[in-house]
Amino acid sequence: MMLWRQFVMEWRLYSRDRVALFWTMAFPVVLLLGFGSIFRDGASPRLSLVRVASLAPGPRDAALDAALGDLQLKVQVLPKAEAETRWSKGETAAQLEPDGDGYRLRLNSYLMAQAGATAGLVNQAWLVAQSRLSGAPEPRRVPTQVESPGRKRSANYAAFLLPGLLGLNLVSMGLFSVGMVNVSYREKGKFRRLAVTPLPKWIFLLGQVLHRLTVTVVQAAILLLVGQLVFGIQNQGSFLHLLLIMTLGTGCFMAFGFALSGFADTSEGYAAISNLVFFPLMMLSGVYFTLDTAPAWLQHTVALMPLAPFLRALRTVFNDGGSLAGHGAGLALVAAWGLAAFALALRRFRWA
Amino acid sequence: MNGSALRIRGLHKAFPKVIAVAGVDLEVAKGEVFGLLGPNGAGKTTTLEIIEGLTAADGGEIEILGLTWSRHGREIRSRIGVQLQSTSLFNKITPREALDLYGSYYPRCRPTSELLALVQLEEKADAHHITLSGGQQQRLALALALVNDPELVFLDEPTTGLDPQARRGLWDVVRGMKGEGRTVVLTTHYMDEAEALCDRLAIMDHGRVIATGTPASLIAELAIPSVVELTFNGSAPDPADFAARLGLAVEQRGDLWEIPTPDPKALLPRLLETAEAAVIPFQQVHIRRATLEDVFLHRTGRSLRE
Repeated sequence: MMLWRQFVMEWRLYSRDRVALFWTMAFPVVLLLGFGSIFRDGASPRLSLVRVASLAPGPRDAALDAALGDLQLKVQVLPKAEAETRWSKGETAAQLEPDGDGYRLRLNSYLMAQAGATAGLVNQAWLVAQSRLSGAPEPRRVPTQVESPGRKRSANYAAFLLPGLLGLNLVSMGLFSVGMVNVSYREKGKFRRLAVTPLPKWIFLLGQVLHRLTVTVVQAAILLLVGQLVFGIQNQGSFLHLLLIMTLGTGCFMAFGFALSGFADTSEGYAAISNLVFFPLMMLSGVYFTLDTAPAWLQHTVALMPLAPFLRALRTVFNDGGSLAGHGAGLALVAAWGLAAFALALRRFRWA
Repeated sequence: MNGSALRIRGLHKAFPKVIAVAGVDLEVAKGEVFGLLGPNGAGKTTTLEIIEGLTAADGGEIEILGLTWSRHGREIRSRIGVQLQSTSLFNKITPREALDLYGSYYPRCRPTSELLALVQLEEKADAHHITLSGGQQQRLALALALVNDPELVFLDEPTTGLDPQARRGLWDVVRGMKGEGRTVVLTTHYMDEAEALCDRLAIMDHGRVIATGTPASLIAELAIPSVVELTFNGSAPDPADFAARLGLAVEQRGDLWEIPTPDPKALLPRLLETAEAAVIPFQQVHIRRATLEDVFLHRTGRSLRE
């Protein structure tokens, strides 16, 4: 009964706070629309190549052009002077120049991810062109197929991003909305009046957790709706599993916020502490990209953090329609982090 | 009205840079309005916050309604009412919601409409807390202190920042509490408030209780029930020469001279004579009864408002 009143009051006060409403409800949608639109057309952005025009184009150039044309590559042919200007501005990732009886590639050391991939494609085209020039039979290619890991359907980057954003929302809600609010309330003395009442701390904390939990559900529902309406992304798995994972994640990251708020006396101090936790968690847990190429020790460390297993389970259900059977250990890890954080929060929580 | 509502022995509290409470003993009887009077920084608020369980003491014993914090924290909280020096509530909560919510924390609570009427906040019952004036917020804080029908009420500087009319209104509420049989412990640095409201007082300075008693007995103990004041047009001159001629202590306080006396009637002719002879350019002579202000001045050599 006490808990219910606390929960209802949290909602009532929250719904009167327009700024908080915007940041929790509208901002993630803006983020999804922004990122989703940038990467809407394909799984990866298109690679581009600057080709310096030959002074006297011959059959070799024509064969290479034909071979390049078959690839997923945007080729821009420029005169030498113009290509050099572009290069010196740093806009070119890879530049192909005629060199003797062949070619030379210049790769931009700052843009190696694109430049490296482009170099591979150019080399492939050059091999094909040489083979055609020598009259050999057309080389065969390995057939490829683009698929999501769960094989249910081929999903694009926006579909990969959506669960990441759901997870990120939970973390930022926990660290910034819950933790920050608690520190600033304590700083302003808003808890002192509660401290002289018989209201048990755990009811107050649990009331907040339940409120944020329901806020998260509403927020997730809005994101899913926008994802479906704008990008045609659908939840492939069971909504019950989705709710289960989201609830677990919310509880865990709320508790993180509560626990951290016990370690800061001022809002400024809390901002530093929470960013210290937030950024590594965000960058290393596979919100935006996977960590397959990171060193092994880093991957092992990250695997012990709660966000990565949470996101894996979320993507299994949401993107691939898979079951949670293989995620027991991961979700147990999330729950353990949550319980540990809540216990720490209760220990460290101060009214004043 | 038997037994004590509050009993404190040897209370100590030191902060990193200052000793706030340096050995306070107090005893408050049930049904009494008890005042802690003292200047800012005397340790009144710290003493009160230790009693209320907000601050941990470094040493000392506290017994509230016969209970102790270590064993009966929850029961103490449900039987006391607290108005903090500044009550910061959630910005967008309304008085009605706040009273309903805080009432729900207690096993027994008073109806919100009754409390709203008591502090005359019916018209603002549904306004957001942040839009209330200072006086209205203060009245809401007082209503919140009464929400659980408490036996013992703590009011920390309840009238600071209120206009004179609002202060009178609040005094009536405090007298009403006494009428209902509640024990009230309040802090103030207004001597008139202490005199008007309190059955008994403890005067605090530098973390210690320097005097305890009823307002009347504290003033009577001074043995100088009256003070003659000479006011000047402009600043008061140095009184040393005049004091020597008069053969009495003359204190300069701001723009006036004060001469404490047990018998103003006998002093007055001699005073005027001496003033005439010394060509003292005074404007007016006042005779007033001694107040708690004089008690404090006498005990500490300083004024309450300093």
